[in-house]
Amino acid sequence: MSKYSVIGQRVHRVDGPDKVTGSAKYTFDMVLANMLYGKILRSPYPHAKILNIDTSKADKLIGVKAVVTAKDTPGRKQGIWRRFPELCDETILCGEKVRYIGDPVAAVAAIDEDTAEEALDLIEVEYEPLPAVFDPLEAIKEDAPQIHEGVELNMNVTRHIEWGDVDEAFKKCDHVREDKFKCSSQAHVCMETHDAVASFDHGGKLTMWTSTQSSYYIQRLLADILDLREGDIRVIKPPTGGGFGSKFELDSAQFCAAVLSMKLCQPVKIVLTREEEFTATKRRTPMYYYLRLGAKKDGTLLAKEVRVITEGGAYTAMGATALYLTGFFSSFPYKYPNYRYDGYRVYTNTAPTSAMRGFGAPQSTFTGESQLDMLAHDLGIDPIEIRRKNGMTPNYVVPGQATIQSCGLHECLDAIEEHIKRRGELPPNRGIGVAAYGFMSGGIFNWFDTPYAFSAALVRVNIDGKVDLFTGACDIGQGSDTTLSMICAEELGVHLDDIRIHASDTGICPADLGAWGSRETLMNGNAVKMAAADAKSQILQFAAAKMGANIVYDLDIKDQWVHLVDRPERGVSYFDMVKEAIRGRDGEVIIGRGHYTPHRKGMISPAYSFGVQAAEVEVDPETGRYKLTNVTTAHDSGTVINPVGIEGQLEGAIMMAGGYGFCEDQPMDEGNILNPSIADYKLIRSLDMPECEILEIETYEPEGPFGAKEAGEGLTNPTAGAIGNAIYNAVGVRVNDLPITPEKVFRALREKERQSKQP
Amino acid sequence: MSYHCPVCNKVSSTAMDLARHMIGRGDKVHRDWISAKGFKFSELLTMQFRSFGGEGYKALAEVLEEETKVED
Repeated sequence: MSKYSVIGQRVHRVDGPDKVTGSAKYTFDMVLANMLYGKILRSPYPHAKILNIDTSKADKLIGVKAVVTAKDTPGRKQGIWRRFPELCDETILCGEKVRYIGDPVAAVAAIDEDTAEEALDLIEVEYEPLPAVFDPLEAIKEDAPQIHEGVELNMNVTRHIEWGDVDEAFKKCDHVREDKFKCSSQAHVCMETHDAVASFDHGGKLTMWTSTQSSYYIQRLLADILDLREGDIRVIKPPTGGGFGSKFELDSAQFCAAVLSMKLCQPVKIVLTREEEFTATKRRTPMYYYLRLGAKKDGTLLAKEVRVITEGGAYTAMGATALYLTGFFSSFPYKYPNYRYDGYRVYTNTAPTSAMRGFGAPQSTFTGESQLDMLAHDLGIDPIEIRRKNGMTPNYVVPGQATIQSCGLHECLDAIEEHIKRRGELPPNRGIGVAAYGFMSGGIFNWFDTPYAFSAALVRVNIDGKVDLFTGACDIGQGSDTTLSMICAEELGVHLDDIRIHASDTGICPADLGAWGSRETLMNGNAVKMAAADAKSQILQFAAAKMGANIVYDLDIKDQWVHLVDRPERGVSYFDMVKEAIRGRDGEVIIGRGHYTPHRKGMISPAYSFGVQAAEVEVDPETGRYKLTNVTTAHDSGTVINPVGIEGQLEGAIMMAGGYGFCEDQPMDEGNILNPSIADYKLIRSLDMPECEILEIETYEPEGPFGAKEAGEGLTNPTAGAIGNAIYNAVGVRVNDLPITPEKVFRALREKERQSKQP
Repeated sequence: MSYHCPVCNKVSSTAMDLARHMIGRGDKVHRDWISAKGFKFSELLTMQFRSFGGEGYKALAEVLEEETKVED
């Protein structure tokens, strides 16, 4: 029997009824009085000087209320890197130069979208095309076009991680492998495209409703770039149709809507089209990977060397963090006594690359897990066994980087090994591949002024016992509203439907850095738990006096019952106690406060989830076509708060990560993305989904609320690697270049045939 | 015998290891030192991503052998 009343229960989402009935109002649905509609003019060139912009014809079009260009902005460069201003390299609207096809140049506000669209065609921009470069290995050459002034070799960031003595360790290895990989781009493809409604009033206050992962960051970034005080900006996140890393930086819809609204003192709404979503928003970072891995003949890993060049695109965005994290997670989830990573981010004249679910870890897991399987094959060691031999364990310290507290990796390996045994002998051309991973539960880092990430929450207990929970956390579809409400209810001792959550409105909610790096459950969950505990203690102080026990008894609240812990039958209804407590305070409601700041928790995160995934494929050796038939994941996310939520996260992760391994890509021609529509961009759809099974491995994470860790982003890491290993297991060929398309498998099979015929 | 990085003084046991370190760091000060010796940094780096064998390291290591060796 569970010790929890709410935690671990299968509940529907608190926002579920509104969403499934269509009554949830997204930014996309918003209409305000006097609202205008905005559109953005974008560069058709990958690299060009702007010689002149003539908006006179557009200004005269009936229905157009304003046209803005760079000269209508304060001219500041924006970026989340307040502590590293050299990485803030993007202007709202380009004034001197454009750096990728899609770079914003002007914006229009009009009475309707069609008029705004027509006005764009009337804006005349004179460009001087410049030489452009699209591949990072070309962009770092001394004679390559310089994309940002003063940035030599177009290399804007390098990152290095090292411990032990890698060079000496390789000399002691019995076997060393060197392999190269190429990891592709990927689009976020959120259901809801980037959108914003900005309303600037005559009092100088800006309100913005926007689809975002962090109303906190958007508020502050708008203040920086618009030269407003943060307190004069209110950012509200309505229900949001997905983020996946694309929506915690300022985007063109947000800043253009704000600039137009400030000029007109009228609300302006901008909704990006699906084509703009593909071509003019950030995307997953493509990477060239070089790996060297050394081991003893018994499979003990001694050394790993990693070198990565990333295609940065035109601006930094969050790409510098992806560069660091891919190097950090290249060391996961194994104990490497000696490790070295050198990462280089290089500007190119392509759409900027930035954060996407996994944040560099899907790339490192694909390359690392593929190479580890290759090493295991070379040494004649079972793939599960080599992972077991080297896998992280609880309390392991990653030198200079992190301390792993809870770790269920070995239990996950055991569970997957059992699963593979149960699948039995497979028919020809069918194979199972495994991949293991670990991932952070919230990043320690904060790109802003303070050195630590933080979360805060407020709990207000009303006179009728109902509870208002205020938090800056952002539910972007991952279910944090539900998870946090469950944590609040459990801690306070009430039911889930006693909680009403108010989230991600900077006007009324305390700060939270937002939904990225899988931080909401652990970081905001801890803040919510603390706030609920604070409120509960105030109720119990009153209860202790009221109940007048004549010896020391501890009191608690559970299932809406205030009681003596050792005599639970002696108690009072929570609702009655709250009413009396508030009456006793002259009607002042009970407020609980909570916050969480991860002090002294290493370089990356206070806690890590772990898992092992087994992917099963069936390959047609004549054509290279293959089908993903089963994906089973053993997952350690600490205590499971919401089992239904985890199942949804898993299935969504398989869809996204499977797509990354199997079919998703953004091929370009001279910087022009060739498939900017859902019809042409290949996604895994419902009919392509494999059987999915989750084997939950429960551990207890001391850092997490009720022992919980992240469950959602880590699950995107292993699938591409598991697919690659499964294809090798099925037909004996390996593809090191994502996505692993049928064409690549076909070519690999023909090459294998050709080689087998050679004497 | 050891080899001291002329930029950041990191100690390596061989000139090849030192060459790997200097190319690996990739920051401006290390790049400038390498460029001053007549190498194109970008060529040394891209060689790492186009072929194995460390040919770029060998050429730099020959210079480091002469200039950074320290008798212990």
